[in-house]
Amino acid sequence: MSRLEAKKPSLCKSEPLTSERVRATLSVLKGIVTSCYGPSGRLKQLHNGLGGCVCTTSQSSALLANLSVTHPILKILTTAMQNHVSCFSDCGLFTAILCCNLIENVQRIGLTPTTVMKLNKHLLRLCISYLKSEVCGCRIPVDFSSTQILLCLVRSILTSKPACMLTRKEIDHVSALILRTFLLTIPENTEDHVILGKSIIVPLKGQRVIDSTVLPGILIEMSEIQFVKLLPVKKPGSLKVALFCASLSGDLSDTGEGTVVVSYGVSLENAVLDQLLNLGRQLVSDHVDLVMCQKVIHPSLKQFLSMHHVIAIDRVGVALMEPLSKVTGTRPIGSLGSVSPSTYGSVKDWCTAKFGFKHFFHLIPNEATVCSLLLCNRSDTAWDELKVTCQTALHVLQLTLKEPSVLLGGGCTETHLAAYIRHKTCNEPESILKDEGCTQTELQLITEAFCSALESLAGSLEHDGGEILTDLKYGHFWSVQADSPSIVNWSNLLSRCGCGLRNSQEELSWSFLRSTCHPFAPQTCLPHEAAGSANNLTLDCFTAKLNGLQVAVETANLILDLSYVIEDKN
Amino acid sequence: PRDMAAAASVKAALQVAEALESIVSCCVGPDGRQVLCTKPTGEVLLSRDGGRLLQALHLEHPIARMMVACVSNHLRKAGDGAKTFIIFLSHLLRGLHAIPDQENGSLVSENSQTLGRHWKNCCRWKFISQALLTFQTQILDYVMDEYLSRHFLSIFSSSTKERTLCRNSLELLLEAYFCGRVGRNNHNLISQLMCDYLFKCVAREGGFEEVFELVGDCFVELNVGVTGLPVSDSRIVAGLVLHRDFSGYCPADGDIRIALVTETIQPIFSTSGSEFILNSEAQFRASQFWIMERTKAIMKHLQSQNVKLLLSSVKQPDSVIFYARLNDISVVECLSSEEVSLIQRVIDLSPCVLPQASSRCEISNTAVVKFCKPLVLRSKRYVHLGLISKCSFAPHCLVLCGPVQGLVEQHKDALHGAFKMLRQLFKHLDLNYLTQASDQNYTSSPLIYKNSRESNQLPEIVNGSLQRPYQGTVVKNKDKLAKPQTYLKVYSNLVVPSIELEKHFPCSTPKVTPMDTYQTNETLRCLSPNKTGIIDYREPFPESNSANSTTENTRIKISYENLQVTKIAGKGSMLPVRYKSREMCPSRSYCFSSIPAGSVLPVGGNFEILLHFYLLNYAKICQQSEEATVGVIVANALLGIPKILHKSKKGNYSFPQMYVRALHALQSGQPMGSRQTGLESVVGKYQLLTSVLQCLTKILTIDLVINIKRQPQEICDQDSEEEL
Repeated sequence: MSRLEAKKPSLCKSEPLTSERVRATLSVLKGIVTSCYGPSGRLKQLHNGLGGCVCTTSQSSALLANLSVTHPILKILTTAMQNHVSCFSDCGLFTAILCCNLIENVQRIGLTPTTVMKLNKHLLRLCISYLKSEVCGCRIPVDFSSTQILLCLVRSILTSKPACMLTRKEIDHVSALILRTFLLTIPENTEDHVILGKSIIVPLKGQRVIDSTVLPGILIEMSEIQFVKLLPVKKPGSLKVALFCASLSGDLSDTGEGTVVVSYGVSLENAVLDQLLNLGRQLVSDHVDLVMCQKVIHPSLKQFLSMHHVIAIDRVGVALMEPLSKVTGTRPIGSLGSVSPSTYGSVKDWCTAKFGFKHFFHLIPNEATVCSLLLCNRSDTAWDELKVTCQTALHVLQLTLKEPSVLLGGGCTETHLAAYIRHKTCNEPESILKDEGCTQTELQLITEAFCSALESLAGSLEHDGGEILTDLKYGHFWSVQADSPSIVNWSNLLSRCGCGLRNSQEELSWSFLRSTCHPFAPQTCLPHEAAGSANNLTLDCFTAKLNGLQVAVETANLILDLSYVIEDKN
Repeated sequence: PRDMAAAASVKAALQVAEALESIVSCCVGPDGRQVLCTKPTGEVLLSRDGGRLLQALHLEHPIARMMVACVSNHLRKAGDGAKTFIIFLSHLLRGLHAIPDQENGSLVSENSQTLGRHWKNCCRWKFISQALLTFQTQILDYVMDEYLSRHFLSIFSSSTKERTLCRNSLELLLEAYFCGRVGRNNHNLISQLMCDYLFKCVAREGGFEEVFELVGDCFVELNVGVTGLPVSDSRIVAGLVLHRDFSGYCPADGDIRIALVTETIQPIFSTSGSEFILNSEAQFRASQFWIMERTKAIMKHLQSQNVKLLLSSVKQPDSVIFYARLNDISVVECLSSEEVSLIQRVIDLSPCVLPQASSRCEISNTAVVKFCKPLVLRSKRYVHLGLISKCSFAPHCLVLCGPVQGLVEQHKDALHGAFKMLRQLFKHLDLNYLTQASDQNYTSSPLIYKNSRESNQLPEIVNGSLQRPYQGTVVKNKDKLAKPQTYLKVYSNLVVPSIELEKHFPCSTPKVTPMDTYQTNETLRCLSPNKTGIIDYREPFPESNSANSTTENTRIKISYENLQVTKIAGKGSMLPVRYKSREMCPSRSYCFSSIPAGSVLPVGGNFEILLHFYLLNYAKICQQSEEATVGVIVANALLGIPKILHKSKKGNYSFPQMYVRALHALQSGQPMGSRQTGLESVVGKYQLLTSVLQCLTKILTIDLVINIKRQPQEICDQDSEEEL
């Protein structure tokens, strides 16, 4: 019987957001995420006082997963961000900063939560419908016949993760590799719906980044001894493969809940081994060239197989089973009984390869959508960061395949969107006022809070004390170095906007981002040729950013709506 | 000292209730806010659900714990109203707390002079509690039926005879419900989702009750939570989504059959409690071979039956999955018993029985599904089955999205509660009040209440109401009537169900023809006159299961708001008692009044204001002071809820303005204008009221709270320990 213990009463606090402690912790969190944002973001070193590895990062996934937050409100915020990141991989910091900014700005106004939430939601709807509309001035449709935009997208992601410690040249190399990896997972003959293949990231730490490469098929790491033992004998043509998911170690299978009594002199081990060897004989007579097993192969069986020139590889592990069965076209065999010939598969060829100090067995498929990305980086922590970044980039490419659009990066989408919302609520407030039943002043206040949250989010990209400007035609983001002379001709000082689409020589006028300027209508409808000719754009994933925007506003609304916090102290 | 203790307990109860009120009142109504609860495990939960909040507080105070227990009791029944419960209770306690001051003052009239002393001397709280009970069981039902029912609207469409759910009304009802349960930005979305879900799930006309029951029972299995996406991504998917992945998946289309097993397909060496003796290696090999062959044979057989999917409630050995894959059969293992029973209920599929001995097996229990495929939601894989329903529930699943798990849970809870609420709404609720209808005239003030004035003891009141129909014969059968009286005492605390009472009346089966009467601007209860076939009062106690007559009584209502005539063909169980009396008095018929299924009222305190108005009216005509006092207290406490709902409104829509307007409208018999568009269930409100009154009675009757060292012995049954 379980021990009964009286439950301690919970702690109940009203109006949690007004408490000084909550505000302070929120601003600390905001400080952490803001300082990490963007290509020039500062790195954070996460370490445990008790030892263990040190993690240097500026990525939301690593950061939020390791931060231990205690206050329930912060917990809501960080879990919302983590959930977003686990769905979309990208735009985690974007979401976190926007959410913090919104909470902070709205609190400053001091309107009732009902009004705030209603209007926030309305503004969010405006943003989404604009971003999805045809006339949107910060969205570029993706043309899959050219790799230009996709390459820019991958490069932007790599650039925004300074903890990967890559040089410009390395970034170009890895971006190309990632894109190639992605393309290799797309099946050649597509039917009505595409099933993407799989890419496996193989770690190779301590090597130069330039040595990274991508290979079709699967690399299985093996020890040097195994490597040497592999027979150099090769047969022409494809090889017959048998893939086992059942253990070939000769252990007894489950005998049920009752007892099994074995008479004296009866050796079940022998019986099982006999069975294994029978299986081996069948494999040999079926002319199988390669036997792979998820679990362990009995040494005797291994010996037997190698005597008959069959390569045996065991302990493949469950993670590789699915790609292996895809590459070879086998069905993993789960029984030691006679093997039906239909379960065998084949590969085009195999070879051995040595990368750095590691030995690999390389399976080359006939045609399959599985490939291995050998990823090198100098240090462990930089490799970890690079790996997560590569996964993010691959995921973003998949998302882009589903929804073929990208957004302008480098802060331009945010400033453009803010300009659009300002203009919209200033010029056509009637429809909103009628729908939501609020006053003009309330709408103005909330719009200001919403837009300045977006703008200061864009402003967080600048960490070196520079000034941020926005042009009054497109509403793009321009940054200027810190110690520039005060009265200048802006067009000489600036070169390109944040996303790289606009040139400063276009007869533009600028204004400081944080100064109150008159709302203007940013030019919508991106010209097509601009997208086509753009070579070096900074781009963001459309799906991830859209979801991040929604999640940030919803989470902020949620937190602003809290009237009590009940903490269970048990 | 006893008096003191009791008085103190009311004060204490009031303090407790007010503390709780301050917490729950911030979440009430469309402008209510959210509360964040943390669990000891570190999980964070968002809630506006009163029951959950009260539970999360882990209250220590004994009276508070009793209140929470009462709330949870109520919630189990009705699924809604925890916050209103607390608010109403604290208003009632406040009202009661204020009484003694009045009584001590100069307000004592000559009529109640003796009573006033009586109140002071005898434990007056107990007295009040008895009066409350009387009120709850007698007056409340009377007022509900007599006055309030004319304002009821119906959720069913008016046009057809059969009860068809009106989508528009349902939307209004659900929207009002979710306004109080989910975040302000999401209630539209969630109520729309639920409405769509409901109409998609109902496969045929009139199958609503069955669907409510099934969804209410199996709600956990019928939804999938997805975090990291905005709430607006929530959607409905056709078919059933199992919360697990395939153990082995083989794509299949066309004619897909499924089979269900509850044991491992592969025979094992020995089952528990048995012994398997191995004498030789050959024997071992042979038995292994046999096991393999048998597994293979079963799978072959399944394939020959066109079975493409095997559902198993247990874990199957790897080799079973291997052989299934060889035969192009997908496998889903480890189904929970709830999932299995849901599948059984929907497609009426019983598990296959695998014969132990013979190698031949016959599997006949298979069912056809439309599709069977994996469903990926946020990189987690689920099994998606297109079941073909054999009942009136067309299987659909809700995919609920939200940025955090806490929000998804809140929506799940709210939806589950909504199904409970609908289930209650679709039931008749019988009231403990006999409507009297005579051939000649229809008296609006029933005799029973005059009768009950002499005594405050409840059982006697019940008896009084029973005795009346027996007027003629009561003297003759006095000794025999003693028996049902004692029987009825047992039920005196409850709303007496009609069946119980029917046993004691000789039943006749008069033919009653419903008459359609139409009258503008007035509610008409049309009870058709009895045909004159007079049946003799043969035996005082006939067989209890003699055929009782249920007569269709047709109610015609004019719903003011929509200016549309809603006709409810309610099935009021009528129990006409006809007897030949010597005085040849006009024959009367009685019927048990009830709140008809699907009765609703506009939200925003309409119910409370109506009841308030009629209770005050009743208290005016009622000469008995205790009843009047209790009536007034309840009436005033009722206003607490609309007051909170209109707290933030200004100007013309502020509470005093609205209240005055409503009272004026009621006095002049005009329709009560309501700005609110939502609807709420009358049954839910009524049940809430009775629960609160019962809880209050309980609080008042306790005079001392005694701390004990050990836990009291568990006497209650198991399911009283359920979650809130």
